[in-house]
This record gives sequence, structure tokens and C-alpha cells, in this order.
Amino acid sequence: MAKFALGSEPVVGSLSSSKKREYRVTNRLQEGKKPIYAVVFNFIDSRYFNVFATVGGNRVTVYECLEGGVIAVLQSYIDEDKDESFYTVSWACNVDGTPLLVAGGFNGTMRVIDCGSEKIDKSFVGHGDSINEIRTQPLKSSLVVSASKDESVRLWNVHTGICILIFAGAGGHRNEVLSVDFHPSDIYRIASCGMDNTIKIWSMKEFWTYVEKSFTWTDLPSKFPTKYVQFPVFLASIHTNYVDCNRWLGDFMLSKSVDSEIVLWEPKMKEQSPGEGTVDILQKYPVPGCDIWFIKFSCDFHYNAAAIGNREGKIFIWELQSSPPVLIAKLSHPQSKSPIRQTAMSFDGSTILSCCEDGTIWRWDVMENS
Amino acid sequence: MCRQESQSHVRMSSEEEIAAEESLSIYCKPVEFYNILQRRAIRNPAFLQRCLSYKREAKHKKRIQMTVSVSRNEREGVQTQKLFPLYVFLARLVPDVVAPEYNATYRFSRACMLSNSTGVDGSGQHQANFILPDINKLALEAKSGSLAILLVSFVGAQNPLRGINLSKGPMDMASSPANVGGYCLWSKIPLELLYISWESSPNFGLGQRAELMSTIDMQSCFLKLSCSNEDKCLMIAIPYNPETAIISQQVQVNISAEELGAREKSPYNTYIRNDIPSSSLAHIIRLRAGNVIFNYRYYNNTLQRTEVTEDFSCPFCLVKCASFKGLKYHLLSSHDLFNFEFWVTEECQAVNVSVKTDNWTSEIVADGVDPKLQVFFFCSKPLRRRRPKSLNQNSKHVHPHVLHSSLPSGLCVLLDKADDAHSSKGDKARISGVSSSIPQSYADPGCVQSISGNNFAPSQMLLFAKTRKLSVERSDPRNCALLRKRQFFHSHRAQPMTLEQVLSDQDSEDEVDDDVADFEDRRMLDDFVDVTKDEKQMMHMWNSFVRKQQVLADGHIPWACEAFSRLHAHELVQSPALIWCWRLFMIKLWNHGLLDARSMNNCNIILEQYPSKVLDPKS
Repeated sequence: MAKFALGSEPVVGSLSSSKKREYRVTNRLQEGKKPIYAVVFNFIDSRYFNVFATVGGNRVTVYECLEGGVIAVLQSYIDEDKDESFYTVSWACNVDGTPLLVAGGFNGTMRVIDCGSEKIDKSFVGHGDSINEIRTQPLKSSLVVSASKDESVRLWNVHTGICILIFAGAGGHRNEVLSVDFHPSDIYRIASCGMDNTIKIWSMKEFWTYVEKSFTWTDLPSKFPTKYVQFPVFLASIHTNYVDCNRWLGDFMLSKSVDSEIVLWEPKMKEQSPGEGTVDILQKYPVPGCDIWFIKFSCDFHYNAAAIGNREGKIFIWELQSSPPVLIAKLSHPQSKSPIRQTAMSFDGSTILSCCEDGTIWRWDVMENS
Repeated sequence: MCRQESQSHVRMSSEEEIAAEESLSIYCKPVEFYNILQRRAIRNPAFLQRCLSYKREAKHKKRIQMTVSVSRNEREGVQTQKLFPLYVFLARLVPDVVAPEYNATYRFSRACMLSNSTGVDGSGQHQANFILPDINKLALEAKSGSLAILLVSFVGAQNPLRGINLSKGPMDMASSPANVGGYCLWSKIPLELLYISWESSPNFGLGQRAELMSTIDMQSCFLKLSCSNEDKCLMIAIPYNPETAIISQQVQVNISAEELGAREKSPYNTYIRNDIPSSSLAHIIRLRAGNVIFNYRYYNNTLQRTEVTEDFSCPFCLVKCASFKGLKYHLLSSHDLFNFEFWVTEECQAVNVSVKTDNWTSEIVADGVDPKLQVFFFCSKPLRRRRPKSLNQNSKHVHPHVLHSSLPSGLCVLLDKADDAHSSKGDKARISGVSSSIPQSYADPGCVQSISGNNFAPSQMLLFAKTRKLSVERSDPRNCALLRKRQFFHSHRAQPMTLEQVLSDQDSEDEVDDDVADFEDRRMLDDFVDVTKDEKQMMHMWNSFVRKQQVLADGHIPWACEAFSRLHAHELVQSPALIWCWRLFMIKLWNHGLLDARSMNNCNIILEQYPSKVLDPKS
């Protein structure tokens, strides 16, 4: 637990809504009976900014948000494994620009779906247990990173189907990895967090040659010299419980545990001694009722705002980059009572989607008041 | 092998002759195999062969067994009967008489008691056996005149030897009163006399029996027996008073002598036919002594070739087997690729040989078959070995141990060796299928010898262990099928492996990822704040080198330094600071006694010469 020096206490946002924006439910979909764990807009390809994907059970579904609150189903994929339960999905891109969906879940196999040809492109085997989160490198959208229950994080090249790096070992996580994220500008850097209550920042600078090699690899993927990255460059103990979501905000980090708040903090690394460093907790964004694990927040493309659901089906939208933090809106609906596992903010934050434990998808659109 | 054509009564066509020649060639492979075994045995002779050579030498000594008995003719009457028990000594006259009151002192080692045939306990012994050295050695003894056979009887007198089991040797003597004495009847037969009679006997030297019957007088005397721990002496005093010498008696003594072991003679060696003049008999015996005829049968046993060996030699490995019986056991145990029939007549002793056609137990691999590819089975079961219950004085127990064997040759000898080491139970290994290999493939002659009773593990396994390679081509096709059945994953990356990778020779299970290790080493060194950049680089280069080259022992250091100098010469020469670090490090090693001055000098020479080597071609 980080200690604070006098006069440098974190700024805690006020829960009184600023009413900057008003959202209204415009659609509600019952996808199935099974809980939906992830919903994500496609930020990889500007042609498809209004396309989003959800996963629940052994199903991956692609929708399009149309004008007037309409949601159109584009594609639906059902895994042949009936027992599969997808936990996460991420948009990625082939080298030639084909939009891909990478989904993972309970059985540990990652499915790469080619949305152009509507076929399974690849299946990634390697993780020894469930996959909790998959994220795509926005600067090189063939690179995806996966966080797994097997305490490892793996970097994959979806174009060639290669497992490039494994972030695990002596300095790795000591329990399930729940969340992982690419640094928005530093292509070598990722951060991961998990059930060992820590957040680890990894650098793949020393291993970048292997990442480059993965793009030109023509031999069998299984022959690629996959490397282990055993030591993170930074280790932070911000939380005292499971850390189930972390996102970079520039060089700062947003992370949350089960303490009904999102924390913004700055990792301060010592140049000379990697692995050591201090943490400066900057701000806190309270989210009442968000006290169960596996509730993830999402941000708009520019990271101006973050949306997060809670155990009671309510959504809190925080302005991230203001200090003190401003609560943009608090969304609630009498019929939305089921825990919201994940939200998705559209490119500009005008549309907010939430997926719930009861298998429903809610669409909220910003009101054109004024 | 010298073969000679036997007279064949069958007239054959040329095709048949060719076929017959071809069928003779089945002898080639087994003979070649035994030749190899024989060559191997030169350096490391098997246990059995060493035993055999001892036995052969013993046989050449031709010791004489002498039997002394007293004839019990009825007409001799009661008087002879009264003499029993009669003691027979083979004794040596001690030249310097210790006690003046005695006429003679004899030293002896063993006494035999001849008892009455109607002995109460039935344990009576009718003859006394002595073993004498061979006739030539005996000549010297006889000339000296000191050896004699003594007959002693205590007729009615107090028997000082009663209750002492003289035949048992010194231990009973020691327990008895050391000096006992009494009046008795005695007589002596000088060995010289016997020797002369044997020498004159024409056929004794050729192993024939020689009998001698003589009547001797027994005189009364005073006898004293003195026993210390090692010396057993008889002291005899002939009384001056002639009256006491009245008791004198005649006894008829049979002394027969023959070469030791002659009883086991085969009909071939008996020479009982009377039509041979004794003058030429010696010549004939010498000529025939160890000759054995070998008939090699071939072409479905219709043809045979004949070979004669001397000295009971084995025609395959030239081992001299000392006797026909020994040869029989040797052939059965050591050359079981052949079938043998043994027969002995007065005319000849012969062995019929044929090649075993049973391929299942064959050691021989057909042409074009790689024995390494053959499946090797091994099963063992405990061997119940017949062992002699007690070791009687008979020479019978000296026979070779392996009597009935279904084992491939060579192994018997090994088993026997192992068995003798354990001295009770060994494992009898039975090998089916094609065993180890064509013998040429064993470059190491010690290879076979090192295999002991229970360690007949398939040689294939050893090969794997040595090369640490799992080559599917070589392994069981069943294993290969199992490998194909399921998906395999890489041990480091957990990536599914293709069949090609699974079946390849690569195994990275224990490998250290050098790139990662280098990276981590560099990062560890980066943590040091009080070390210069060059020092860090030097440390890193050395750490990396030591890890990759597995420099583990102190003894590796001199080599490692020279190799390091050679490997990094370019970088070292380029940077004076770095080369200074390296020299300093070498001095540290030298301080600790890990690096000798000569090696350090070599390293510096390597570094000094490096720039000139590079620059020369440029200029």
C-alpha cells in the first residue's frame, strides 16, 4: 500500500454529478441467458468505429450502432466447444487491413476470427488456463497481448500466428492475471495486473528483435524462438485486493480493485535500477457499488472519459483528465439491476454500451440538449 | 582349420557338388563368430579357460597313486588276523637322531589304519592310499633312501595309538598326549625297492598299473610316537635283548601303483589288445594320446569333412581341454551353434559336428539385416544349479560347471563367472530373437565382458542414454505410433508441435535460453553503481562465455582463458580499457591459483598477435 507524503494526498472526485452530459437509454437487447462479459468498439479501423463486438457463453457477436438507437446484428459466431465461455474480446487487424476479432475465455484457446471472410482464421494454443483479457496494440494492430489465469501474459502476432513473448517466470505474477494494456505511445511497454494485488509494468525493448522477427517468420509457428520475459521493469502495490482492470492514461495508470474506486497513479521509475520505483497516487474516481471483481471500465478513443458499471446495474462516467475529477454522468434505469461487467464508450463518448450478467446489452446515447 | 575330404561313396552330379559346397558355407558364419570371440578372449580369458589350464597342468604332473593292502589268505590263518589293526605310514627318516636311546626317527604326515574285515563298526578299511609325485621326481627321493613305508601293529600289547584317529591328520594328534609309546611289531619297505620294481615294469611309464606282492617280516620293537604341532614323529628302538624279539611274523603285502586318475580311462586309452608288441605300444600311445577326430556334416548330413586335433584341442577356439570329457563340456557350453555327437571306441574318439538350423536361437544374422534394427528380447529366470553336496576327495568335482546349457556361447562363460561370484544363485538368461548384434559392431572387447548376469538390458537403451537422442527410426514402431496418436506441446512455449518436430532429434527441455540469460546478466550488472562501463562489459562477456561453454571446474580455467582471448580478441584489442580489465582479471585468477603463468602468457600472445594478423592482409 502506497504511503502518501503530507500535502500530496490523492484528489478524490466528487460524486455529485456535473450534468455536463445527459444520456438516455435508446436500446436494450437480450442476447441470451448467459452473462455477457465483454463489449468493445472497434477503435482499430476508422471505417468501423460504430461496430462493436460482444462475447457471452460460447458466442461472439458483431453489431453495428445505427442512427436513432438502432443496433444491427452483423455477424454471430458460435464456438464448437459448448463449454466454452468467452471472457474477453478484442479487435485487431491483419497486416493487409482485414478486421479480426480475437476472443478468449474459459478453455484457454484464443480464437482469431476473420470478420471479412467470416471464418476462424487461427486458434492460439499456449495458455495453460482461462484467458481473462485480450488487448490490441493500437500502433501495431497485429500484436495482441493476453492475460491468463496461468499467471502469464503472452504477446502474439495474429498475422503469423506466433507466440512471440511470454511475460512470466521469476518476476512474474503470482496469481491469475486479470487485465493487461499496451502503453499508448511507448510501443515496448505493457502493464498487467491480477489476483496477486500487484500491477506490473513490462518492457519488451530488449526483445523487440523477436517481435520484428515474428512478422517475417515463414517457418512453422511452433519453431519460433519464443522468449520468456521474467522480470518486469516496475512493480506497484496500489491495491489490497484483486486488481481486475488497468489502463494507461498517457504515462499514468488507471487501475481498479474491489474498493469501489478507480485510482489514477504515476509510476516513478528509477533510471538506474529497474524493478524498483515509487508510486504517486494522483486521483481517485469513486464508483459506489463497484465492489465485486471482474468489473472493467472503458474509455473513449481519446481517453477523455471512462465509463464503469457497478454491481447494481448503474453506470458512472468520469472525466479523467480534469482535476479534481468530474463525474460527467451517472446512468441508471429501473430495469437495469444486474451487475454490469463491462462498458464500451464510442469513439467520441456519445454512445455508451453496457453488458450485464443477465445477458442484456444496453445502449445509452447522449442527449442533444441545448 | 585343416580339413580333409572324407571318402564319399556317393557319386554326385556337378550341380549337386555346387549345392553341397554352398551348404558347407553355413559353417562360415558361426566359425567367424567364434574366431571373433576367441580373439577377444586373448586379452581377457574367461574364468573357465583359466581353470582348464590349471587342470591341464595338473594332468601333466602324472602323479602316482599307491595302494597298500595286506592279503588275507585263509592259509595265513589266525596269525595275520591278529595283526589288525595295522597302521601304515609313509614316513621319512630323520637323519640326525634326537634321542640316543632310539635307533631311528621317522617323520610322517598321515597314517592309515587297516582294520580287520570283520570290523565291529563296519568302518574297516582294507587298503591305504598314498599319492606320490611323478616317477621322475620319485627317482630322486628313492635314491636318497630316506622314504619308506612303515607297517606297525600292536599285537596284544598296549596300543598307544588307540583312540587316536591317525587318519584324520594332525588335529587329533594335538589333542592327545604328546608322547605315547609301547611295544609293537614293525617292518619297513624302502621306497627305493618299489621304485626299482616300477622302473623295470615296461608299461608303468605309459600309465599302466604295476603290482607288487611281497612277503615281509614284522619284528618287535619299542615305538614311541611324539607329536608336536607340525611334526609327527615315530621313534623306534630295537631292543638289545634278543628274547624280546621272538615275536616275529610274516605278512604278505600288495602294493599297486598307477597314474592318478587312470581309473577313468576311456576304451580308447585302455590298450587291452594283446596283439601290439609292448615295444611299439609306447610309440602308439604317444601318437594317439590327445587325438580327436571331428567330422563336419553338411549337405543334409550326407557329406562330411574330417579334421583331427591334438591334445584334446577345440577346433574352433584351439583351447586344450585336457580330456575328452573336458572337450565335450567345452564344446557343448562354448559352441552351441553346433550340434555335437560324441563317441569313443577302441579305434578312435570322435565328434560329429553339424550346424544348428534352429534360427530362433541363432546368434548369426542373415546378410543385409542390420542387427541394430532387430527387436531384442530378454527374460530371465532364477537358475537352479546342481551343486555337489560335499567335496569329497574325488577328483570328480573339478569338472567344468556349466553342464547343460541352452545359452548362446560366450554368455555361458559369463554366467558362470557371475555365478561363481555369487557362489550360490545366478540368473539364467535366455535370449531369444536376434541378440546383441553382429559381433564386429562391438569395437570394444570389454563390452561383452562387462555384461553381468542380470544386466542384459537391451543395448538399444544404452545407446539412447549415451547420445540423448530419441530417434524414431531406431525405436519401436509401436512407440512411434503412440507419438503420432496425440498432440504434443513444446515444453517451453506450450505451443503445439508438428509431427515432424515431435519426431525430430531436438530436445530443448533443459536448455537455458542464452539470449535471455545474457539479458538478465547485463541487467544484473547494470545495478552496480561503483563499476565502470568497461568492467561491466568485461564481466558480462566472461559470464556469458562461462555459461555457454559450461566452464564449471577449476581445471577448465586455463583452457577457458585462452579460448576467451581468441573469441573476443577483436573487441579486446580495440579497447585498451577493456584489455586492461581482462589482464587484471587474469591476474586475479592467477592469484587464486586457477590460472598458470604459461596459459596467461599464451593469452597475451594471442592478443598481441591479433592486430598484426588482421592488418597484414590490408597492407
